[in-house]
Amino acid sequence: MNLIVFWFFGAVAVVSAIIVVTHRNPMHSVLYLSFSVLAVSGVFFSLQADFLGAIQIIVYAGGIVVLYTFVIIIINLNELQREKRRFVPRLFLVLIPVVLMAEVAYALYRNTASVAGGAEEGITMEELAHRLMSSYVVPFEIASVLLLAVLVGSIIIARKRVIDDSN
Amino acid sequence: MHFYLIPLFPLIGVLLNGLAGIRYFSNRTVHSIAVGSAAMSFLTSAWSFFVLAGSDQASFSFTLCTWMPEVVVNLAGGGRPALAIELALSFDALAAMMTLVVTGVGLLIHIYSIGYMAHDKSYARFFAYLNLFTFAMLVLVLGANLAVMFIGWEGVGLCSYLLIGFWFDKDSAADAGKKAFITNRVGDFGFILGTGLLLYFLGTVDMATISGAVEGGLLDRDVATAAALLLFLGATGKSAQIPLYTWLPDAMEGPTPVSALIHAATMVTAGVYMVARMHVLFTFSGTALAVVAFTGAFTAVYAATMGFVQNDIKRVLAYSTISQIGYMFIGLGAGAYAAGVFHLMTHAFFKSLLFLAAGSVIHALSGEQDMRRMGGLRTRIPATYRVFLVGALAIAGIPGLSGFFSKDEILAAAFASGNYTVWALGLAGAGMTAFYMFRLVFMTFHGKERLDGETAHHVHESPGVMLTPLRILAFFSVTAGFAGLPAVLGGGNWFARFLEPATGIHEMHLPHATELALMAASVGVALSGIGLAWFIYVKREGAPAAAIARRMRLLYALVCGKYFVDEFYNGVVVAGTMRLGTLLGRFDLGIIDGIVNSAARLVRALSSASIVTDTNVVDGAVNGVARVHERFSVILRRVQTGYIYNYALAIALGVILILTLILSS
Amino acid sequence: MIPISHILALGLTLFGIGLVGVLSRKNLVVILMSTELMLNGVNVILAGYGHHMKSPNGAIFALFIIMVAVSEAAVGFALMLSYFRQKATYNLDEINDLKG
Repeated sequence: MNLIVFWFFGAVAVVSAIIVVTHRNPMHSVLYLSFSVLAVSGVFFSLQADFLGAIQIIVYAGGIVVLYTFVIIIINLNELQREKRRFVPRLFLVLIPVVLMAEVAYALYRNTASVAGGAEEGITMEELAHRLMSSYVVPFEIASVLLLAVLVGSIIIARKRVIDDSN
Repeated sequence: MHFYLIPLFPLIGVLLNGLAGIRYFSNRTVHSIAVGSAAMSFLTSAWSFFVLAGSDQASFSFTLCTWMPEVVVNLAGGGRPALAIELALSFDALAAMMTLVVTGVGLLIHIYSIGYMAHDKSYARFFAYLNLFTFAMLVLVLGANLAVMFIGWEGVGLCSYLLIGFWFDKDSAADAGKKAFITNRVGDFGFILGTGLLLYFLGTVDMATISGAVEGGLLDRDVATAAALLLFLGATGKSAQIPLYTWLPDAMEGPTPVSALIHAATMVTAGVYMVARMHVLFTFSGTALAVVAFTGAFTAVYAATMGFVQNDIKRVLAYSTISQIGYMFIGLGAGAYAAGVFHLMTHAFFKSLLFLAAGSVIHALSGEQDMRRMGGLRTRIPATYRVFLVGALAIAGIPGLSGFFSKDEILAAAFASGNYTVWALGLAGAGMTAFYMFRLVFMTFHGKERLDGETAHHVHESPGVMLTPLRILAFFSVTAGFAGLPAVLGGGNWFARFLEPATGIHEMHLPHATELALMAASVGVALSGIGLAWFIYVKREGAPAAAIARRMRLLYALVCGKYFVDEFYNGVVVAGTMRLGTLLGRFDLGIIDGIVNSAARLVRALSSASIVTDTNVVDGAVNGVARVHERFSVILRRVQTGYIYNYALAIALGVILILTLILSS
Repeated sequence: MIPISHILALGLTLFGIGLVGVLSRKNLVVILMSTELMLNGVNVILAGYGHHMKSPNGAIFALFIIMVAVSEAAVGFALMLSYFRQKATYNLDEINDLKG
């Protein structure tokens, strides 16, 4: 049952991802990105990572995708240039990830083949919270500082530079 | 003792007004700074004066730093002392008196200038120059050695040049400035030579040390005479004596306050001051002293004759100044240094008074300076008339006023020294002074009005800011003489006693009756001079003058042409110098340039030889390195396309490569 | 029970698709989206391993990655906007300021 759910969402994620990458209109790409992201959160649920799935929906679907949409609206991509690139280089470009993936898969599989069979029950939210607030408390706090820095930094970078010239 | 502050204040004034004031300050700020610094300087002088008078020290000294570091000097008489010249100031009785005169009169003239220069567009420049002059003059006065004194000596010369040519858009002013400067150069050259001579024979330029060495008999009498005469040449330039006096009348092109401050009260007396300061040397020489006395006496009479015929109010005063400085030199030459300096002080008061009052007249007449177009001003500008009359009476030597005491002391000293020629010339000069001064007074203030209609309409008394300094100067013109009240009149000659530590003791051995007779003679001469002037210019309204001029046409033309000394100088000295210059120029072009050019040609040949090695060996190595770098960078920069996907591709390929390496191991 | 190989296949596929997008697209916005896809692929693998090993570490790592992805998106867009103000283009063919 779990496997069916996993592959259902997985297939949706992969197909949406392919459309994201290939579609010419970035607005459509954003919509398919949200599909893909939601599907991945489904995958997380099927892996019993409930918290991660929830975060995935909240942050990605609620935050990042909206951000993308706004950006595309702000910077008005009406005159989209047609991307000119010949076929052979494209094929070559697909080849590179395929080789890379194969290598990664081989490496991971070789090293983790002995991983014990999975459990039916996932990790509880409580355990996650405990871990986050004990072993990972320093990275957690650093992350909060990083987010603050990003907040301030992106405002400073993106705001309009009005040269302050009172004279 | 902080007497070194005295020149510091004017220096601050110069820096403020000269650097910032010309562009940024309002007139009010400018004159506040200038007058404030002059006032501070005056107060410091007064304070220092009282400290000195109350102490038992003969002088105070202050050394700022070493100016020229020690060098070994080969003296003429053998001996090789190490010599360092220091930026040193000293403050003794003579300097105290002089700083009081310079800063006091200077302060009054600063104040007067507020009114006189009010409408000038270069207001800040004027006050900056005036402060700079005060600074330079104080350095001259306070300098402890001849080198520091020379800084001030040149500084006042420079300021004199700048201020004579203050209205430099007027050709005559610019020329007068150049004339003053160049004439002074001749004198300054003498000053440098004299200093050098003393340095060569005594190994020092410090004035106290020189005096000590001279008194100790370390100097040959002929050398002393030569040095003293050279220094005196400097004094004749600065103090406008024969033969270097011609610049002073032309210097009247400058603004009147400048004439009063520089060309009457202070700078022109620098020569007198210097001789008084080096009095030990002059006394030792004897010959030099006689030269000083005769030069002074001749100048006193000679300049007075030219004063008879001048019609420009300021030029009359200029010749009068030359003549009066001649008196000072008579006093110095008679060995009565205190008397000479006393006359310097009283003259500073009444002559600056006369100049400023003349300035007030000129101001009232909108720039008119010709006395033939004045007359009858007594009722139009009564305040100016009164102070002018005080000044004229003082300079004429009417008893009770300052000029009387100082002039009589000089004449008495000349008589006592046994030099009757000098005394007779001085006495004649006194009468002539009285005559031309009252000629000036009568032509300007009495008789019929001879003004232009337009000018007459605008005649106005000067503002209070100009009249107040005049009244103060008039007060001192009357009273300053009592500082040196001679013993015969019941005084103690306090002035001479104060100066004793600096100028030495001068004993006059004259019976009281003789002294009184001399006074009576000079008063009689002065009164007859005034009477003659009254007869000619008031009673007969100038008719006898014209008659005399007609009768003695040749003499009149000679005096009117200022004895044609200017023409002589132009024809002989200037033209001769120019011809010499042309000759030297040819020599320069032909021979010196020839040598220089052949040297240059040799250097060029050598350098072409060195260029060959340079291009082939040195440049080859340098260029080779550069070329290798260039080749590599041309290849390497192709990698940097600037396109993001190329970089991404490179990253991906790199990851593949690394993974392959890891997996294959 | 989901075999580890399946999880790996899904994650790597997502990562690969993202990588293809990064390498082949010339629109800056799409490239940023492609990086999101790559990060998603990695998250899937991390969550899968955590699930398999009964460890919360996988989920925690994924959490941090999401956080970093958010930061990256925000800063990336800010940079993009300010760059666009100057050059008025997103086409990577026209962006080569780094050219040597």
